[in-house]
Amino acid sequence: MPLLRFLRNTLLWAIPATLLWLAITPTYNRFLARAAENAVQLTESPNHTTLKRYDQHNFLIYRDDLQGQTSTGHVSSVRVTSYHFMLIFTAAIFLGVPDTPLRRRLESLGWAALVSAFFHIGALLFRIKFIYATQLGSWSAEHYGAFGQNFWGLGRHLLDLPFRFALPLLLWSCFYLDRLLPDLVRSEATGALPRTKRRLAKDSTNSPRD
Amino acid sequence: MPRNPRTNEPPDPRDPGTVRARKPLDRRQVVFLVAFVVLLGGGFTLLSLNAVDRVFVVPFTALVAKVSGWLLDVIGQDVTMRGTQIVSPRFAVDIKNGCNGLETVVVFASAVLAFPAAWRTKLFGLVGGIAAIQVINLVRVVALFLTGAYFPSFFDSSHTVVWQSIVVACGVLLFLVWASRWAAPRPPQHAEAQT
Repeated sequence: MPLLRFLRNTLLWAIPATLLWLAITPTYNRFLARAAENAVQLTESPNHTTLKRYDQHNFLIYRDDLQGQTSTGHVSSVRVTSYHFMLIFTAAIFLGVPDTPLRRRLESLGWAALVSAFFHIGALLFRIKFIYATQLGSWSAEHYGAFGQNFWGLGRHLLDLPFRFALPLLLWSCFYLDRLLPDLVRSEATGALPRTKRRLAKDSTNSPRD
Repeated sequence: MPRNPRTNEPPDPRDPGTVRARKPLDRRQVVFLVAFVVLLGGGFTLLSLNAVDRVFVVPFTALVAKVSGWLLDVIGQDVTMRGTQIVSPRFAVDIKNGCNGLETVVVFASAVLAFPAAWRTKLFGLVGGIAAIQVINLVRVVALFLTGAYFPSFFDSSHTVVWQSIVVACGVLLFLVWASRWAAPRPPQHAEAQT
């Protein structure tokens, strides 16, 4: 892969990606909050959870069965923007790939954005369930057993940092890792193992060329 | 796959003129992805263990705080250290887990270890990459302190969005640089053709 061109393209694409992200963030936050609210309600019967917008980035978590038991009225809050700012980097590295038609790069980015959206909803679901399972004192202990607390806690821990940060690279690798593994394409064509192929290639450099 | 009509060789993926059709994931791609996810999950689970936190993460975070405080002192900021807190008359910041760059280190290290390359190359990548990430993280802590001291209204977004993105992006780009420059060397034929 022409590395310098990739780095330059990535930096340049980061600018429009940032502007687009800034423009869609309020709408996307509302969409994510609504989708996460629905996802949490799938785990409740009857529905108790509501997410209400506090400001552009933060949403308050309300449970109607806990309304009178908290001084502020809401159970907790969640900063929704923190879950999706890596979209900027995702867009930049997908669009920065050299020697690929723009249409194909946009197509790949579309798939990556779709997977990212599901990831964001899942991460928010785990965040809210983690709060319910571990952060509400006796209410949490009464409604969640040890397995539930560990399940939502570990899930939230993994989705909150490592996979949120690694998601752009994971998605990019699904589409473009073969750019870093040239032997893949060559060995596919020749049927030779990569190591054998390298040895053959080395031998051929020692012999006179046509 | 179309071949070069003159040499009857398969197309080189590094050839700028090569436009490849989309193909399903290759076995080595799948192995990389699975290994990456497993190492990532394992690495972060390891970091979250109380014993690891007590023995490694907390002292390491304190070291990051100490070095950051020293750097701020060097550039003329009137700061004093109180444990992991950096305090000045204008601003104070507490360096906690999450501000130590270890998340990015785990992402980078997982990717390097999962990538099909020689162990010596991996070791070289790990040492160089982790050192570079920690340097970038120190720049981040110092920059965030200065932002908080002189542009406090920008601190929140700088802390939660801008610098987190920059540090993670640097970690990922360092991996891509390592993978394409050192871990996957150019095939000799191609290298000769380029000279």
